[in-house]
Amino acid sequence: MRRLGPPRTSRLVGFAVLAFVLLWWVPFSHVVPEAFPLRFGGYRTFQASEIAMWAIVALGLNILTGYNGQISLGHGAFVAIGGYTAAILMVDHGWPFWTTIIAGGAIAGTVGLLIGVPALRLTGPYLAIATLGLALATPQILKKYDGLTHGTQGINVRPEVPPPPEFIKDWFGIHLSNDEWIYFLALFIVVIMTILALNIVRSRIGRAFVAIRDSEIAAQAMGISVPRYKTMAFAISAFYAGIAGGTYVQVVGYVSPESFNFLLSINFLTTIVVGGLASILGSILGAAGLVMVPELPGLVSFIPGAGLPDELSWAFYGAALILVMIFAPYGLAGLFHRLVKLRPAMVLKSLSSTYSRWVDALRSPPASPGQTGTEPEARSSQEHPDAKK
Amino acid sequence: MAEFWQQVVTGLATGSVYGLLALAIVLIYRSTTVLNFAQGEMAMFTTFAAWSILQWGEYWVMFPLVLVMAAGLGAFIERVIIRPVEGAPVLNIIIVTLGLFAIFNNIATWRWGGIPKGFPTPPEIHVTGIKFFGEGALDIGPTVVSYHDLTIMVFAVGIMLALYLFFQYTPLGLAMRATAQNPIASRLMGIRVGRMLTVGWALSATVGAVAGLLIAPLILLQPPMMMGVLLYAFAAAVLGGLDSPVGAVVGGLIIGIAENLVGTYTPKEWLGPDMKLTVTLLIIVLVLLVRPTGIFGRRALRRV
Repeated sequence: MRRLGPPRTSRLVGFAVLAFVLLWWVPFSHVVPEAFPLRFGGYRTFQASEIAMWAIVALGLNILTGYNGQISLGHGAFVAIGGYTAAILMVDHGWPFWTTIIAGGAIAGTVGLLIGVPALRLTGPYLAIATLGLALATPQILKKYDGLTHGTQGINVRPEVPPPPEFIKDWFGIHLSNDEWIYFLALFIVVIMTILALNIVRSRIGRAFVAIRDSEIAAQAMGISVPRYKTMAFAISAFYAGIAGGTYVQVVGYVSPESFNFLLSINFLTTIVVGGLASILGSILGAAGLVMVPELPGLVSFIPGAGLPDELSWAFYGAALILVMIFAPYGLAGLFHRLVKLRPAMVLKSLSSTYSRWVDALRSPPASPGQTGTEPEARSSQEHPDAKK
Repeated sequence: MAEFWQQVVTGLATGSVYGLLALAIVLIYRSTTVLNFAQGEMAMFTTFAAWSILQWGEYWVMFPLVLVMAAGLGAFIERVIIRPVEGAPVLNIIIVTLGLFAIFNNIATWRWGGIPKGFPTPPEIHVTGIKFFGEGALDIGPTVVSYHDLTIMVFAVGIMLALYLFFQYTPLGLAMRATAQNPIASRLMGIRVGRMLTVGWALSATVGAVAGLLIAPLILLQPPMMMGVLLYAFAAAVLGGLDSPVGAVVGGLIIGIAENLVGTYTPKEWLGPDMKLTVTLLIIVLVLLVRPTGIFGRRALRRV
């Protein structure tokens, strides 16, 4: 969160690598299967689509939390709104799939705008818990008003999801399976949303977001309308979540109240912090981590003695979170940028200094406990002379 | 009217548990501004440990043993896992507690299994002819209170009183309050700030453990048991004001009562028991809009 963005070259390298992996892996493995021993099966393709749709949410949430400094633990609710809008429009009203994705984003964005207004009053942990309430209430509301939402049984969209269109076969001569077609659809959406996000954060709006995050008072003094930009950040990020919800409907083919429980919302926050706050690349890397890290114990299980019992994959995920936070406080994106500027001696030095800092921290009291910087107001309020207990 | 009071008393009992866990959250928040998402899972974990001890031991042997274990667990977590990220942004530390959440939840499921287990209430004790704890119910005026609900309230009041006395009248309590208010000045005065934080985590884990032991007989012992309680506790802590221990307890009681009354008295067709969580949360958000730092929380002063 120190600087506006990572250095240009390493960001370009990052996106180039991402683009290569995402775009070419599937068709290449399709055309020359023998060159790809780890060829994507149906499940891996599904996971790749999952990464794409969570990346959309992470992009939006990162604009809100990373760039604008408002913590939301309720983005699952916006994904649910987008998803349910798309599902209801497709199943009950027969809209074509791509219009429902846009409609999902629009409605979620509108709700986000409405929620952004009261959210202006709240800051830090109070906002986090209030939005967590939103995430908690979502499944209950979806179950209760079942006239619209089909209640606990959910909505099955699978029959309505379109098969791969003819032109792909005609133009490229590739037979895509349904999964692969949906993957490319999700990839297309995530690319558009990424370009949009890159442009938002580097525009006047994005700079206003960052200025407000760093100091509301200073931003105000510079003539930035704080309420206007804060609600705008909420609306944009809810719009992203809604688009992701519409994509979810195509990818998963089914929505139910339990698809959008509060753990999902908490996972989104984890995604952007682990990926890297205020980093577009980080949002995508974080989404990949969210989907793939619980898989890692399974992937290495062919090495004798290296596999963890399957039941412990969540504990593994938790441990991975803690290790990333200790050794890469700026998330995967921060780690990546360090690796790109790779000078082995420097990397070793910084790793060993991180390690020795960790060991020192275990041995001695912290340098300045609680001086975390995110909440200067809260700290100074505690220095108030009549502060009791 | 009898039903009203019945709902209030039941709400007071569950509210006390929310309040206790909220108290545990506030104890950590005051000194480090970190919301500990692992608080509930730590309590769940110690309650499972208690269940294991109960396989061979008495309830009143298990009880102090579990409290000591919980304190050890809290101190260990602060020292080994939280200390290395102490200077990091708050969000990073919150993610670390979410990591702990996953670890505790997963290990408990793996070690003890996901099938709900019964958990005993404290066995009865007679002190000068008056029965404490145990089974059964007591008639108080228009309502009937189960002994377990009474037990919960007695423990909650006892712990709050003990904590109050500890913070107000012991040198260690004073040092901890000083650390929470101003770590740098405290260090200059010779207080070992790091040690105070460790003690804070130990204390908080202990309070959480008691909450776990008290709620387990009501909701059965199982790995996800504390999730709902934790969310109510967060709501309680926020409602009361995150830096106020009194606020945490009051917030817990308000939420416990509000939850029961909303479930009983709102129209069943479009609200009712299914929506009690939603309505309770809505009330909390409305309160926060009027008082953005909770009922008892101090307003954040801004220095420019």
